[in-house]
Amino acid sequence: MIRIVDLYKKFGSINVLNGVSLEVRKGDVLVIIGPSGSGKSTLLRCINLLEEPTSGKILLDGEDITGKKIDKNKVRQRIGMVFQSFNLFPNMTVIGNVTLALQKVLKMKPAEAKKAGTDLLTRVGLKDKIDAYPNQLSGGQKQRVAIARALAMNPEAILFDEVTSALDPELVKEVLDVMKDLAKSGMTMLVVTHEMGFAKEVGSHVIFMDEGKIIEDGLAEEIFDNPRHPRTKAFLDAVLS
Amino acid sequence: MEGLADLAQKYFSVSVIKEVFPFLLKGALYTIIFSASSELIGIIVGLFTAIIRVTKVKVLSQIATIYVDIFRGTPLLMQIIFVYYALPYVGINLPAPAAGIVALSINSGAYVSEIFRAGIESIDKGQIEAARSLGMSYAQAMRYVVIPQTMKRVLPPLTNEFVALIKDSSLLSVIAISELLRTSKEMMTWKLNPSSLTAAALLYLAITVPLTRLVSYLENKMKKGDV
Ligand SMILES: Nc1ncnc2c1ncn2[C@@H]1O[C@H](COP(=O)(O)OP(=O)(O)O)[C@@H](O)[C@H]1O
Ligand SMILES: [Mg+2]
Repeated sequence: MIRIVDLYKKFGSINVLNGVSLEVRKGDVLVIIGPSGSGKSTLLRCINLLEEPTSGKILLDGEDITGKKIDKNKVRQRIGMVFQSFNLFPNMTVIGNVTLALQKVLKMKPAEAKKAGTDLLTRVGLKDKIDAYPNQLSGGQKQRVAIARALAMNPEAILFDEVTSALDPELVKEVLDVMKDLAKSGMTMLVVTHEMGFAKEVGSHVIFMDEGKIIEDGLAEEIFDNPRHPRTKAFLDAVLS
Repeated sequence: MEGLADLAQKYFSVSVIKEVFPFLLKGALYTIIFSASSELIGIIVGLFTAIIRVTKVKVLSQIATIYVDIFRGTPLLMQIIFVYYALPYVGINLPAPAAGIVALSINSGAYVSEIFRAGIESIDKGQIEAARSLGMSYAQAMRYVVIPQTMKRVLPPLTNEFVALIKDSSLLSVIAISELLRTSKEMMTWKLNPSSLTAAALLYLAITVPLTRLVSYLENKMKKGDV
């Protein structure tokens, strides 16, 4: 469904992505791990067209979305994104956050949007918070709202960029549980995370990135328990110790 | 002691103040009308030029920047004189009140533009990215996500700007607009006593102090994180 071919991204003279190729099929959950600065966020941001690749192709159902003629807004409706820093709209209620794009992009009627939004918030366990403002929520609740907001556009795939990294440890589980449910429901997901349990339980495969390249890829069990590449090994030793 | 008595008689004469007060009130009303309408137009001009500048629309954004530089970088008094006395030579004949509002509006628009630009740029980039990742266009992200958040943040500096404009509107006296300062000077000549200036000062304070209090209140509220 998403195929990336030889993707390069430079910021000035720095090569952040150095020829990344990968394939994600419908329903896959791709887990991306790697040290800070290895280009994981940049990769996801390229897929969401928040960054423009320097060269290479990103194919969505066979169509190159990096092309000039592509309607970026349409592509972004098809690929949702959830950010480490939540990026909820602080001036809107929870339901406002979830329904804004439904009303403004999909031109849904307010009542219809509210119903769809309420259903999604129920799905992430926040039905009782629909009228709260983001600053009244815990980090875990905020991130679940952000997931509901991304789901609202009914995307074909969702990108998750270290969505549990900013959370207190006791709040991580509630977010991972929502993501696991999503994965089990067949959502195509690209997930940057170091949560090994998540990767093992729902990850279809794992890639390890370093210096803008994919160093190793394989099943979660293989990568986490038997890394072949010394750099993967060193990284896992550092992260998991 | 005699000095003090003189001062009181010249600047704090209750009887004079009582007499000129109704006229001053009218002057104050003019001051409010001129500054409020100019502020309103200035907000529209400023918001528009700020958006043009942050979105870096080619040419237009350079023009907007030049506009801001010129009107922030030259004295308002000069701008008022140009609009009233120089524009007629190119066929633009504005009556004094219109010239006054035009000059004040474009001047305040330049300051407001800076306020909005800073406000828009202070909104976390993640906000636009989140909006765009939902499929909103840049214009929609600005309109529904960034600008509403900016509005709250710019309220205190905008109010400060309004206070400055109220005081600056006294410069309209040079083109014979009977706002508060000019009225009080006329009263001074009429009564041969400058107590009217004191009364005018009190009226300025009556207008500006509530506004500056409002600024502190808003700033406090924002510090508590309501925004
Ligand atoms: N907008 C940018 N401008 C310049 N350098 C950037 C920008 N975004 C990311 N980088 C650089 O690219 C590298 C990879 O960043 P990133 O993709 O965020 O890595 P990761 O998510 O794996 O930590 C880092 O060295 C970072 O400093
Ligand atoms: Mg990152």
